[in-house]
Amino acid sequence: MFNYKNIAMVMLAITLLFGTSCKKEDADVLPTIAAIAVTNNDFSTLEDAAVRGGVAVVLSNPNAGDPSGDFTVFAPNNAAFARLGLNKGDDLAALNTSFLTSTLLYHVSNGNLAGSGIAANGKSTSALGPNRRFITRGSDKFINGSKILATDVKAANGTVHVIDKVLLATGVDIVQSAIALKDSKVFAGPELSFLVEAVIYAELAGALTASPGSPSFTVFAPTDAAFKQLGIDLGVPLNVPADIRKLPKATVTAVLLNHVLNDTGKFTSEMNAGQVVPLGATPLTIGAYTNGVLTVQGKGNKIAANMVIPDVQTVNGIVHVIDRVLLP
Amino acid sequence: MFNLKIKKMRHNNFFLSTILFCLPFLAIAQSPVSGFMTPKGKGAVAVSYTSEKYSTVLLHPATSEVVPVFNEVQVTSASLFGTYGISDKFNVVVGLPYITAKGNATEGTLKALGYQNERKGVQDGSLFLKYNPYTWEMGENKINFIVAAGVKAPLGSYKVEEGLQSILAIGNRATNITGLAIAQFRSKSGFFASTQAGYSVRTGDVPNAVIGEIKTGYGASRFYVDAWYAGQISQGGVNVLGEGFKGVFPETDVTYNRFGVNVFVPLVKGFGISGAFTQYLNGRNVGKSTGFSGALIYSF
Repeated sequence: MFNYKNIAMVMLAITLLFGTSCKKEDADVLPTIAAIAVTNNDFSTLEDAAVRGGVAVVLSNPNAGDPSGDFTVFAPNNAAFARLGLNKGDDLAALNTSFLTSTLLYHVSNGNLAGSGIAANGKSTSALGPNRRFITRGSDKFINGSKILATDVKAANGTVHVIDKVLLATGVDIVQSAIALKDSKVFAGPELSFLVEAVIYAELAGALTASPGSPSFTVFAPTDAAFKQLGIDLGVPLNVPADIRKLPKATVTAVLLNHVLNDTGKFTSEMNAGQVVPLGATPLTIGAYTNGVLTVQGKGNKIAANMVIPDVQTVNGIVHVIDRVLLP
Repeated sequence: MFNLKIKKMRHNNFFLSTILFCLPFLAIAQSPVSGFMTPKGKGAVAVSYTSEKYSTVLLHPATSEVVPVFNEVQVTSASLFGTYGISDKFNVVVGLPYITAKGNATEGTLKALGYQNERKGVQDGSLFLKYNPYTWEMGENKINFIVAAGVKAPLGSYKVEEGLQSILAIGNRATNITGLAIAQFRSKSGFFASTQAGYSVRTGDVPNAVIGEIKTGYGASRFYVDAWYAGQISQGGVNVLGEGFKGVFPETDVTYNRFGVNVFVPLVKGFGISGAFTQYLNGRNVGKSTGFSGALIYSF
């Protein structure tokens, strides 16, 4: 019949069986790109951006748009977002949601691009459409103006490279990019409204609009706050964009041409300290390359301008948003 | 003297039988049935309050230190449950929780995503039948063998497919049919140990699961304590943010191990109070929650 010891042994056996069988095998499962963003503390803003931008589920799954099933993601860390004043998830509310989604897609490409495959003068087509450029500066590798901090983080559905700046692309030309900012299609509020007004007033829109064979530029784009400060400095109140028209057209034109370099468009990673000559012909002084940005100073400026949003890629050039109007 | 001893044993048995079955309900997802049987015509009803909280989410293969979107989640539940001895060998056990899940997402996040920080409602009602086909007596000790079968089905209208909002879903909307086998050893001294294993068939997208529990404790006329270790192994399912994840949480592979401690003290006239602690230890696609609960139990 039933023996006490036997039954005790059976219970013990069941217990041990249960205890040991309660763990699943975890053999070599890699996290997905979305899971890497969620589980890594240094990607918490990226995680929030991915959730808000609606790409978290996409990046949890194999890439249906590529035979390999993989994505390559250049992942900006929290410090990269903080450069734009995006210190936490809620700050992302400053960005228009569709622009946020587009921006995220600009960080993504099809297939696996290994770190070893990133070489100077190379290009990579983003999921958004525009190409990104690879640049080397000293021993550092860059994608556009963003330094690649770490390469080849393996994911179940691709590869992640960590970058120090958010990649920004508008997908349109310089003029349309500025108009998009003015119309709150980038930030939740308008920006570059004074610049757009000035470009229209000075009749420079045509020159900065992309057309077949048209040149590409580097443009220093002063913020609305920069124009307002200029008004204070000049004693001509510039409270609303239309106030630009209080200034002589020739003056506005000269000032604007002081912000455009006909140099095919340079990212910060390609810029160096020294003098450059804008379309306005009066040289600008570029400061030292420090932590991914450079200052720029017009001959008429007492203080150099800082880049607040560097490296915005447009169809016909690179725009660096600056905090001061450059005076010839 | 001998008779007195017998009487005391009976008292213990009654106490254990009519009240302790309730304790498993005190923590969500612990096995709904224990190794104790309620005698014929006897029963108990109880109301419990449980609060569980987590910020760490056991994803697979990595762990997130904060809950996506909601940062941290607190799940509280108020539950009603009862048991009745149709016969000494045949019991019925019922339970019904009302659950409130609260997140801690920022106002900005809620506004951006159109989410809310709370989901609440009546969750799933459960009805289990327990049958004790055999008890082996071994001198003053005995082993109970019990089989149980039950159904758990959503009674509320809670939602589960609201994208990441459903991190706060209060259940998975599946109807579960569960079968369990339980073996319980009890000594005259009040010590007991039990082990149980079962299989739960679930409707819809929710994967079936193997469930199990081991428990040991001590019950005397004025005091009861137990400690348990329980788990669920999902038979398939996708990982949250893993391949195949479409933002539908019921489809996920919810596997975990947890442990807990229950204490119970009888008061007067059939009333007693209990307290419990539970902690998730490991797993995947679950919050690593820590919970406390208390219950008022009336036995008759």
